[in-house]
Amino acid sequence: MPPLDHILIVNAVLFAIGVMGVLTRRNAVLILLSVELMLNAVSLNMVAFAVYGHVDFGNITGIVFAFFIIVIAAAEVALALGIVVRTFRNRATANVDEVNLLKW
Amino acid sequence: MEDGVTATQVVFWILAVVMLVSAIGVVTAGNIVYAALFFIAALAGVAGIYLILTVEFLALVQLLVYGSAVVILILFALMLTRARERPQALFGRSRPIGIAASLGLLAALIGGIVATTWTTPATSSAIQPVGLQTIGDAIFTIWIVPFIIVGVLLSIALDGAIMLASPDEDDN
Repeated sequence: MPPLDHILIVNAVLFAIGVMGVLTRRNAVLILLSVELMLNAVSLNMVAFAVYGHVDFGNITGIVFAFFIIVIAAAEVALALGIVVRTFRNRATANVDEVNLLKW
Repeated sequence: MEDGVTATQVVFWILAVVMLVSAIGVVTAGNIVYAALFFIAALAGVAGIYLILTVEFLALVQLLVYGSAVVILILFALMLTRARERPQALFGRSRPIGIAASLGLLAALIGGIVATTWTTPATSSAIQPVGLQTIGDAIFTIWIVPFIIVGVLLSIALDGAIMLASPDEDDN
């Protein structure tokens, strides 16, 4: 098994890459992909803590949380893609900086 | 086996490098379909690390739910919203600020991880694998109410997605 802090550093890099995608991309679907990368980094972190700590602390809550995160992410992807398809039908664009209908 | 580099660690670093390179491909690829394909590789890397952490159940769920269902949804959305008229800039105007902000966040996270003393088992052999029965016991006893709530939430969200994406009757 690799040491815990190596896993945490890899996950921190993955999370930062996801943040970079959210902050630099224009296409809404690609922003969603980057959000999924961040979610994966977080759930990998929780699984690492659970696996390294469940002998000492006697529970595996981190693994259950990772399972729930996967379910929530599936719901979120379906809803967000519905919104993107809807926006594309109304505004003919999937770029977040061109959807400024609510911008004052 | 706590001294030196074990085979598991070598596999972990190979998977980590594949995962991180694919993730960089997701956020920098010039073609949006290539970005989705890089995303599959990154998800496979995450599933491999789940396997190394002895959580086979999560690796399987990751491949089934993320690797197939979510990726197919995303590919459909990419093809349905492909802008036809002009080649588009894939990055916003604030790209340097975004890169700088994410690098700052990365520095803060790694600084915090390095500065913390982790009270993990001293030897890797003290780590027990988490079996499928343990996970099932936890989900269906302690976490049964959140489990039911998340199931209801998932079906409501999918109904809402269908309602959002379906055309209005008075559109045509």
